[in-house]
Parts: sequence; structure tokens; C-alpha cells
Amino acid sequence: MASGRWSRKPSRPPRALTLLKALLLPVLLLAFSSSSAAAAAAMHNNNWAVLVCTSRFWFNYRHMANTLSLYRTVKRLGIPDERIILMLADDMACNPRNSYPAQVFNNENHQLNLYGDNVEVDYRGYEVTVENFLRILTGRHESAVPRSKRLLSDEGSHILLYMTGHGGDEFLKFQDSEELQSHDLADAVKQMKEKHRFKELLIMVDTCQAATLFSQLHSPGVLAIGSSMKGENSYSHHLDSDIGVSVVDRFTYYTLAFFEKLNMYSNASLNSLFNSYDRSMLMSTAYYRMDLYERPLNEVPVTNFFGSVMKTLHTDSAYTGFLAAHDDEVPMSMRDNQHDHFMSKNEASARRLNREKEAQIIPHGWTEVLLEQLEGKNTDIVALYGLGAMGILLALSTWLSM
Amino acid sequence: MAIRYYWPMVAAAIGFRFVLVLFGGDLHLASRPEVSTPLTSLRRLAEGYWLKQASMSPYSGSMYHGSPLLLSVLGPLTSNRSGGKNAHVYCSLIFVAVDFLAAMLIQATGRILQMSRNRSLKSLDLTKAVNNSANVSAGDIASLIYLWNPWAIVTCVGSCTSPIENLMVVIMIYGACSRLAPLAAFGYVIATHLSLYPAILIVPVILLLGYGPDAPTTKVFLLKSSSSSKSDMRTSLKIQRFSWMTVLHFIFWLFIWSGYVLLLSSIILKKVDGLNEMFEKTYGFILTVKDLSPNIGVLWYFFAEVFDFFRSFFLTVFNMNIIFMVLPLAIRLKHRPCFLAFVYTAIVAMLKSYPSAGDSALYLGLLGLFANELAEMQFTFFLCFGYIGVSLHSPVMHNLWIWRGTGNANFYFATGLAYTCLQTVLVVESVGSMIKHDRKLRLLVPS
Amino acid sequence: MAPPPPPSGTVLFLYLLLLFLLSTAAAASAAAPEEEFTEELLLRPLPDRKALAHFYFRSSAPPAATVGRHHHLFPKAISQLVKKYHISELELSFTQGRWNYEQWGGFDPMSTSNAKPPGVELWAVFDLPSSEIDATWKNLTHTLSGLFCASINFLESSTAFSAPRWGFKLNEGNLRYGALPREAVCTENLTPWLKLLPCRDKAGIASLLYRPSIYKGYYHSQKLKLRSSQSLGIILDQTLTVVLQPNTINDKQLHSNLGQLQPSWSMRHLFNRKLSGKCLVSKYSRIFIEFDKGIVDKVNKSGSDLSWNNEFFVLSNGPDRLIKGLNNLEVQSSFIYEYDVSNYSEEKPFDVGITWKLPLIWSCTPSPFHASRFLMGSGNERGSIALSFTSTNLQKIFGSPNDCSIKAVIFQMVPWYVKVYYHSLEIFIDGNRKTVSDVVDKIHVTPSEDKLLPGTLEMLLRFPCSMQSATLTLDFDKGFLHIDEYPPDANQGFDIPSALVSFPEFNSARNYPEIDPLLGSPLLENFQEDTVVKSYTEVLLVPLTTPDFSMPYNVITFTCTVLALYFGSLLNALRRRIGEEERELTKTATRHGLIRLLLAKLRGQKVNPTESGSLSESTGSKKLLFKVVLVAVAAVLFHYFSNNS
Repeated sequence: MASGRWSRKPSRPPRALTLLKALLLPVLLLAFSSSSAAAAAAMHNNNWAVLVCTSRFWFNYRHMANTLSLYRTVKRLGIPDERIILMLADDMACNPRNSYPAQVFNNENHQLNLYGDNVEVDYRGYEVTVENFLRILTGRHESAVPRSKRLLSDEGSHILLYMTGHGGDEFLKFQDSEELQSHDLADAVKQMKEKHRFKELLIMVDTCQAATLFSQLHSPGVLAIGSSMKGENSYSHHLDSDIGVSVVDRFTYYTLAFFEKLNMYSNASLNSLFNSYDRSMLMSTAYYRMDLYERPLNEVPVTNFFGSVMKTLHTDSAYTGFLAAHDDEVPMSMRDNQHDHFMSKNEASARRLNREKEAQIIPHGWTEVLLEQLEGKNTDIVALYGLGAMGILLALSTWLSM
Repeated sequence: MAIRYYWPMVAAAIGFRFVLVLFGGDLHLASRPEVSTPLTSLRRLAEGYWLKQASMSPYSGSMYHGSPLLLSVLGPLTSNRSGGKNAHVYCSLIFVAVDFLAAMLIQATGRILQMSRNRSLKSLDLTKAVNNSANVSAGDIASLIYLWNPWAIVTCVGSCTSPIENLMVVIMIYGACSRLAPLAAFGYVIATHLSLYPAILIVPVILLLGYGPDAPTTKVFLLKSSSSSKSDMRTSLKIQRFSWMTVLHFIFWLFIWSGYVLLLSSIILKKVDGLNEMFEKTYGFILTVKDLSPNIGVLWYFFAEVFDFFRSFFLTVFNMNIIFMVLPLAIRLKHRPCFLAFVYTAIVAMLKSYPSAGDSALYLGLLGLFANELAEMQFTFFLCFGYIGVSLHSPVMHNLWIWRGTGNANFYFATGLAYTCLQTVLVVESVGSMIKHDRKLRLLVPS
Repeated sequence: MAPPPPPSGTVLFLYLLLLFLLSTAAAASAAAPEEEFTEELLLRPLPDRKALAHFYFRSSAPPAATVGRHHHLFPKAISQLVKKYHISELELSFTQGRWNYEQWGGFDPMSTSNAKPPGVELWAVFDLPSSEIDATWKNLTHTLSGLFCASINFLESSTAFSAPRWGFKLNEGNLRYGALPREAVCTENLTPWLKLLPCRDKAGIASLLYRPSIYKGYYHSQKLKLRSSQSLGIILDQTLTVVLQPNTINDKQLHSNLGQLQPSWSMRHLFNRKLSGKCLVSKYSRIFIEFDKGIVDKVNKSGSDLSWNNEFFVLSNGPDRLIKGLNNLEVQSSFIYEYDVSNYSEEKPFDVGITWKLPLIWSCTPSPFHASRFLMGSGNERGSIALSFTSTNLQKIFGSPNDCSIKAVIFQMVPWYVKVYYHSLEIFIDGNRKTVSDVVDKIHVTPSEDKLLPGTLEMLLRFPCSMQSATLTLDFDKGFLHIDEYPPDANQGFDIPSALVSFPEFNSARNYPEIDPLLGSPLLENFQEDTVVKSYTEVLLVPLTTPDFSMPYNVITFTCTVLALYFGSLLNALRRRIGEEERELTKTATRHGLIRLLLAKLRGQKVNPTESGSLSESTGSKKLLFKVVLVAVAAVLFHYFSNNS
């Protein structure tokens, strides 16, 4: 089954882009002010993964299966759940159409339940929007957003960003209603770089014309893999007739096939991963963009991105780098964000208060005096008398001025 | 030349309205988007009255956006609902009476205009030159147009408050034409209070009170007086003078009525948030186009689609658009203030945030007042059938989109666009032909 | 210079104070209750051949002051939540499917406290001044959304939650209620919920929760209820209620002459898991099998006793205890067999099942009225919500006189884009229209504000006992939204959350006279609490008209074109006189016309530039140059300022 191919058309506006533009200036200022502090290159000390499935609706089952397969793989290779941001645009596991409730499979042999017993989805359903995605990357959240929904990476982080969905020339569709454009992605990555939110970033995209999504990237330390070149489609791998839809995409399928052979301690390099893609099997050309990446790929183990394996470093004193990088910009969700909300006194609460006043009589000064004169008659009657008086006054004055 | 069967036709129009009010309950006109807008819907008024009776602010709940005065006049009539169908029959009867009154005032206005026209033509010795073309009784025509206009009928029967708004505008124009400052001020204040937009009519009202009803340009009189003997100086002098007294009188009454209306409103809203909330929920609602439900205008779709960060910009532009043309028109047509009032009404009906058929009914009625001057207007055939076409197409497109789900919003929006274009043509053509008419008069004056 | 030594009196005082503090602390620690955890499971056969399983976990922490911030069993996340947001009560439920009030009962504690509306329902009572509650609620929704992997943060916006005064639960304005009817409920919500248990799902009763079998059920509701006060500390009740279709053990379903047997089942068949002992830190670990009043009546009528092996059914194990339950009219209404899990272990896994011997048909006690809600009308402009009550003739069971009346409280929240006309409330009783004041005792309406507040309706009705059916209708207009306010699947429609109907005169509490209150199990305690009979109605799906989502640019350009057309043509009509006068002038002033003629010629053919021509051309080009410079300067300035801001 071929995945949909989208021609670019003017639909909803690139809100994300303007949002970014509006946000860009303070970022630049911030970057300049703190660039000297973080001049020294940090060591790779942690791993994060952002896994995004952008497609809604049941027939896009395979995109969710792709994402969950990657989720399972990176978890198996050692990235803990709190360092994985998982975004799933729809609920497939408990979808009424799913004849295997609470289970998601990426293979028709149904041997591996990807949903398992211990899956933590951070953003799901309507929350998977371009705005939220960019917020995660750039770390600009409302103060109330909990830690589990933030990408709390630092300058020593290796981040894996995996996205799957329906894409086209320089865009990726979110939920069939919004688009993430290559400019948006590049802007976000640039911001991340300037805010020291990553050391190295691997972007892996499985959509049609995935390569075009990388065309605007300029930040150093970024490595990008796409499932297809411009003008090519990415195809699904096979159909599961029990579930009734395709369950996995080719590119992800062969990526997983590569990783299934590995464990945490394997030394397979990124080069071997890239070389494992075969055009005849993928039915598209896998694309790598490595001009922004410095290290030779055959020396970089895949576990640098897809797992969490690092060297232990013995230090005599307590490590302070993490604290320094984060103390001022990431508010702890459980700390003092409540204050902000109190400050921004919202209209609704004011309105509710107004409601509560409804029974009370608000004194109005002069009308009060008038009503006292009228011996507390019902205001409606007073108003009607007033309207009658107005008629009389009108008639009189008109007659007089004739 | 009066119309032969004038009174029978008036009676027939009123009778027709009665028939529709009493027996036309199944027409569901009250919920037509062409008829009732969020501002004028009687159903919303009933909800506001209910909320008020439940000692809440009538404006809570984003339902009612009208005046508190209407609430206390019409509210009690809406609450005794006699079994569903003819729920608002008492209100409708009031609206019929209001329509009749408006028609009579239009006729009276027409008569005043006619008299002043005849007088000025006489003083220019042009009576013969002009009268051989056409000289119908414009007041009769205008009032009949107002009474028999299907839109006016639909508005009157379809339980919405626009007949009252229209009446107030007509009262204002009549009061100004007959130089009854209190009456003009009353109409002006109430009309502005009800729907805000008539505020711009202050310009024609002051011109009317100052200079008197429509006449050819002063230049013509100057030409005439310069060419003819000095015995005619009387007319030119009369034309030149701007009667400050009447205008001051008007302004005096303006303050009295405004104060009175505000006092009454604040008495009615005493128990709730008071006048601030009233301004926020009526004028604020009008100016910020908060309700995006479809109507015959174009702004609802525009603001449903426009990007949020442009919203305030376009709100400013569209509101300014009405005000932009006030001054140029006033300068150009200052000798014809009554016609100026018509043009303003038409522009407002076209550009206001929640337009309805009732607004169009008003300016089409007023258009009849200038039947003699605009006899040589172009595109009348096109306009006439354009109006008919739009008023047939628009309900069909609405039905297809909302009720059947087979069309989409764009079709309905297209009829709105077409309608706005038609109104543009009407305004531009009427202004153009009025200017042409004036020029013709000037050329006719022997110099 | 050394500081002067402190006076000996102060030292003595401090010493005494220290002693006092130590002694009080010791006393407190001796008297203070420990943190406790209990786990229980109740199984019950349902009349429509299904089985109900109700998991009940209670963790309690003693008042915070005595223990400090350390917890042995109690989940730290929850105690932090309570402390930070000053919650005195909170209930969060995730539900899939709808409780069948007719088949599964509407008058027992299970239905009144564990039947929940589909999706997520959250309500919380705060111990805060009213001005801070809304802000706290927002933070709470975000925290819960992070904690339970759900989009509860959508309840943050003021259009999504309301503050009912008495229709939902009597309060002093410090309660907030919100519901997300469409929220999906799946494994990712259960996982963090289980992580709050001390044994997670690794041991004890929670280990029965095999996800695929749980989510295969007809109804699934996972609830978290928090109560906190200075005296009690924090009590966290976690319940999970599932209605499952048992896989029958044997195929011999048909009994010879009496009809179909109920399916026989055991725990292993229901959950695909066996229970291998209790969670070691739990205080109690019990399993109950409950039989309804319907079964109890039938068995009693047949003359046999209610032992675990009777004429109708047999349980696979002998119970540890029998408990009789009485309802609030002191009629025996249920029978409970209790099993203690602590007697079982890995080597000796626990399994209990029921095997039916004779076909049995029974029904559950319904609530006095069966409430259901539906939409009327077609098209996308308006409609009405109808709430219908059908009498279940319960008063006949209780033998009430015919001229009595039954109270019903309705609480309904509608989103703002469903614009309800509250004045259009109509009530029909047995098909006859009644005036509102005859039936409605009390009404409290918070009308919706566009894009700001949802509408809330709280109503106290009084129905005559003899009434068979009643219908309430409310008209509404459908709102029109901005394109950004539509969800990605806009054509699916919008949900109106369930309405809650409660009958304050009916109490579903059970009474267990034989049970020792000290041995109290939280589950049975919960059944003994006074709970008003209530039922949730259906969620309504309102389709709203959608604009064309791909049109913004077209609409902007079209509209602006039309307005520009108006502006331009009107202005043109107004300044037409000037043009005419100029033309008249050109007729008289030939010199002016000559220059124009020359200019026109110059533009056409650039040969033989005369002196005057070059002059005019140079002035023209100067003007042109000036204009170009002006535009360029404006552009540069604009660019400069737009870059700066």
C-alpha cells in the first residue's frame, strides 16, 4: 500500500513560522549573553529521544506502529522513559476498530506487542500540534507544564528526533490540518543550538519526500536521515489482514531489522546503519545529510543516539554543569509556577466573581437616590414609567417647537 | 402627481402583514440569518429578559446584545408564550404598527422634500424645464416601497427588532426635515443607542437643521442671482444662512435625551453590572464582530477565516471604512442632506458588522424619496434583478450549506459578496446620478 | 571581645523546651497511625451474562505534620499534589464505555459511586480562597496530565470547567468540575495509575490486570479519589471497575428444560492470570464475590440456604466468611463471600470461580427513574437537548403512596458553542406540557460566555410518583467557530459532556450488620457510605458547521477587493466633477492643452525634444525620481523598524 503523497498547496498558514519569528529576537539576545559561558565543548553525558507520530485516523496505524517500534527500541537500548518524549496523534491501541485492544503490532506475526504494559505517552491526540512540537524542541513552555512533558536536555545531550507521518516537499503534515515546514524545523534546531539544548542531534524522518525537510538545516552537530528523496514516496511494508491496515513502513521496518540484531553493548556504527538501507527493499532512496556533522560516521556507535550508553567519569568534586545550565531557564513544574498564574489574573475568574455578586445590589449613586424617591418600586415599573414619560416629553417638546 | 390608489395599497400592505403575523407561524422567519442578527433577534431578547427575571444580568451568557430599553418594553411581551407557534405575536403586532408609522413618516418627509424642491425650482424658474420629465409624489412612492418591500415585510413578520431601529432613523430624518429639533434629537439618540451606526447621521441631521431640506447647490442660486435682477436676492440670502439656533436647540435636546436614555438604562441595569457592561456587550459586540454566525454580509466569514494576529488590524480597517467616506460625501452633497442621510444609511447597511434585510429595507425605502432626482440613474435594471437574484440565491445556498450539508460555506459567502457588490453599485450610481442631476440643473440655469 | 554568655535561665528554658518537644514527638509517633495499604477485589455476576470486577486499593497517609515528608507506602507524587494545591477532595476517573443502568443496576453503591461518564471526569474541592482556585485548578490539570499521560490539561481553559454550587455536590464555591468526553483511555493511563501502588502490578491483586483482557471489556473505569484533611491525613482510593464477558469454562450451556445457564467463570478465565499471593506490604488483601438482591431473592424463594454450594451455583473454593448486606430499608439485598488472599502464595495460587447449576434469571434494582438524554432537530443551525425520565416503578417496590413526589437534581454543563436558550425550557409530564414553576423547585443557571465560560444548569425537579415519563427540552443555537478553534477532525462533531441526574431522596448505602467495624475493609466501608442514587446520561455529539479550512487567503483577498471596489468607485464618483472642470478648462486654455499634447507626443516618440518639452520632461523625471526616492526611503525605514521590533 502506497502512502499518500501530498502536493503542496496553500492551506492553513504557517503559524509556527511567525511564532518563531516573534520569539527569535529574545533568543538571540540570550544566546549572545550566554555564549561566552558555554564556550567549552561539553562532554556527551545524556541521551534524549523525541518520537513523533503526526498522523491521525485509523488508516494511519502504521505511523503509530513505527513510532512505538522506535520507542521500544530506544527503551531497550537504555534510554529511560523520563527522557523520551512520545507524541502520538491518535489512540490506536484502544481504538474501537482495533480487534486487539491495548495492543499494537508492527508485524503480522503478532509476536511483539509494542504497547506492552509500560508505555508512557507524553503528548497524545489533539495535543500533537506543530506548536507543541516546537515548544518541546525550543523548551518554551507555559510554567504549569510538568517536567515529563519537557525536553530537559543540555549541552551534553545527544537527541534522537524521530518523526513519521505524511509529508511532502519541505513539509510534514500534523493531524491532517497543520504543517511543519522545513524552515520551522530548521529555526527550532537553530534555537536549540543557541540555547545549548543539544550536543548532537539525529533527525530521522520517515515520510514521503523526507529529504526535503532537512534542506534548511544549518546548525552544526545535526545529522539527518530521511526515508526518501525529493519526488519519492515512502511506502509501507506489509498489510496485516487481521488488523486490516498496513502495520509498518519500509524504512522503519528495515531500521528496526538492523536494531533487532543489536544490544546495548554492540559497537555497530552509524555508518553500518546507513549502509544497511537497500534501495530495492526500501523502494525509495534513503537520504543522509552529514555535512553539518563533524565526527566520521564509522566511529560513531548507533547507541550514541538510539541508546544511552556512556562512559563513567570519576570526578573529585560534585558535578555542577547541569545545574548551571538549567537553573535559570527551566522552572521546576512543582516549584513556584503557581505564582505566575496568580499574577495573570484571568478574565474568567473575574467573571465568576461577578457572578457571585449577582445577588448583591451595587449602589449606583444617583439612580439610588431616584429610586428612593420612588419608594422602592420595581425597577421595571420605574423603567416603563420612564419610557412613558419619555413619550410625553417627546410629544410636548415637538409640539412646542412646531 | 399623486398615486391613485395610495391608501388602499397602504391598507393592503398592513393587512398582508397582519395575515402573515397571525397565520404565517410556520415560516420560521425568526431564525433566518437574513432577518435576525445576534443584535436584533427577538429570541435572544427573550433569553435576556429571562435572565433578567432570574436576577442575572441580561447580558450574561453572550445572548442578548440589545438595548435595556427594548428589554423592558418588549421583554414582558415575550414571556407569555401561548403555546409555541405564535410565541411572539404581540411583539409582531407592535412591529406592524411601527412599520406603518415609519411609512407615514417617510411619506411626510417626502412631502416636505417635494415642497422644498418645488420652491427652489420655482425660485430658479426651472419648474417647467424639469417638470416635463417626471414629477411624481416621491413621498407616496417611498412609503409604498417601504411597505411593500418584501424584505421589510419579512423583517416585520420575522420577529426581530430592526423595524424599531428603522423607525428611529426615519423619525430622526423626519424631525430634521421638518426642523423639529427635539424629535430629531430623540430619533438620533434612540437610533444610536439601539445600533450605534446611525451615529454618523449627525452630519446630515445638522445640515438639515441648519440649511433646510435638499436643494440644488448654492452655486446655482449664486449664478441665478448674479444673472437675474436684484429683486431675487431674497432667495439667495435665505439659502446662505445657516440657522445656528435650530442646531443649538438640537444639541441641547441631544444632551437631554442621551442623559435620559442613560438614566433609564442604568435604572434597568441597576441590579447588575450597570452601564459599563451595557456598553461592552452592545457597542463592544458590534465593533469587535464577536459572533461569527453567517449573515448576508461578508465580515462573518472574513473573521472566521482571518489569522488571529491580523484580527485587530482588520477590525480597525473595516470600522474605519464606514467613517472614511463620511467627510467626502458630506462635502460633496452638503446641499442635499436628506440624500446624504440615505447614502450613509446604505453604506452602513452594507458595511455594518451584522447586516440584515431590515437595514436594506430602510435605505431602499429612503431611495424612493429621490425618485425625481434619480430618474436618470443607470443600471437600474441590473440592480433590480441583482437584488432579486441575491435574495433568491442566498436562502438556497444557506439551506444547502447548513441544512442539507451538500454545499459549503463558500457558496453562501459568494452571495454575500455579490450582495455587497450590488450595494456598492447602488451607492455609487445614486451618488453619481445625483451629482449629474445637480449639474444638469446648473446647466439649465440661464447664466 | 567574647560575646557575653547567655543567661542560665534561657538555657534552662531551651532545655525544657527541647525535652517537651521530644516527649510530644515520641507520644505522637506512638499514637500516630501508620501508613496503610489495602487491596481488595469484588466480583459479581451480572444479569446479562457478564461479570463485574471491582478493584479497590486504598493507601492512607496519616496527617503530614507527624510524619514529615517521608513516605513508606503512600505515593509521594500524590502527597505533593495535595500539599501544593491544597486539595481537600479530588476525583479523577478515566472511563471507556457506558455503564448500563438497566442491566447492571442503578440503585447499588457500585453504580452510584463507580459508574462514571465516558472519557475523563475530574472534580476537585480546594481548601483555598475563591480568588486562587481557578489558577490552582489550571496548574492541577497540567500536573495530572503529566502524571497520568492524558490530555487533562485541556481542562485548563476556562471554557472547559465549571463551578457547580449544589447540582453536582454541595459546596461553598470551592469545587471545580470538568469533563473530557472524548479522551481516549488506554494502557498509558493505567500504567502510571498502577505505579502509585506500592507493589505496582508485580504482586498482589493488581497483578491480575492483564491489559488486553481488561481493555476487551464492555465497561472500564479507572478512578482515583483523594480525600485529605488535617485530622485524617490523606486517603487515596484507587478503584478500577471492569465489566467483562467471561470466557465460559464448559460448552454445555443449555440446560435440559429450563433454558440457558449463566456462563460459569473463574478469575483465571476473566483475567488470564492467576493470583499468587498478596502484595506483602498490604494490610488486608481480600477478594469478595457478591450476589445481588435478585439472586438472593430467588435463592431464598427456592427454599435453599445461601451457602457456597447451593441449588443454583457452586463456588470453586469454600469462602473464609459470609457477609450479609442490607439496603437502607433493612431488606437483605446482597450476599458476599469473602476470601483472604494472604493464605495463598506462589506455590499455591488463588483462583475462585462460579459454576451455575440451574438457569437463573434475575434483574438488578434500578434507580427510580431511568434518565436518558438525546438531541432533537436537524441541520447545523439549531436544535434542542431533551432529557427524558422513564419511571422504573420503583415506588411500588417501596410501597409509597401515589400522591407523593420524587425529587431529582440535574446538573448539566454545555460548552459555549452550544448556545442554550434557557427561557425555552419546557417540561412534559406523561406527554402533557407543564408550566416550569410546577415542576422546578430550584434552578441555578450560569449562562455560557462566548469563548470564555461554559454554561451550567443546575435544577431541582419534583416529579409526582405516579408519573410514568417526563421530558425536558431546551433549545439551543449552534455556534460558529474560528477556523483555528476546530479540532483536526472537525467533521466528527463536538461533545456535550454527560449530565448528572441524582435522586436525593434515595440512598444506595448498604449495611453490613454482621461485620466487625474494626476489621473494616475499605471497599465495604465505601459501600456503607451514604451515597445518593445518581446516574450519568449519554454524551451527546453535536455536529457543527465547518467553514472551508483552505480558504483564508481567498476570503481575505475577495473581501478586501470588494471593499476596495466600494471605496475606489465611490471616491471616483465624488471627484468626477474635478475631471470635468479640467476638461472644460482645457477647452478654454489651449496653452495647457498644448503642453499636454507635447507630453503625450514625447512619451510616444522621443525624437526632436523641443526646449519646452525637455523642460517638462526634466520636471517630470524629477518628480518621478522624487517619488522613487520617497518610496525607497519609506521601504528602508519600514525594513529598519520591522527588523528592530
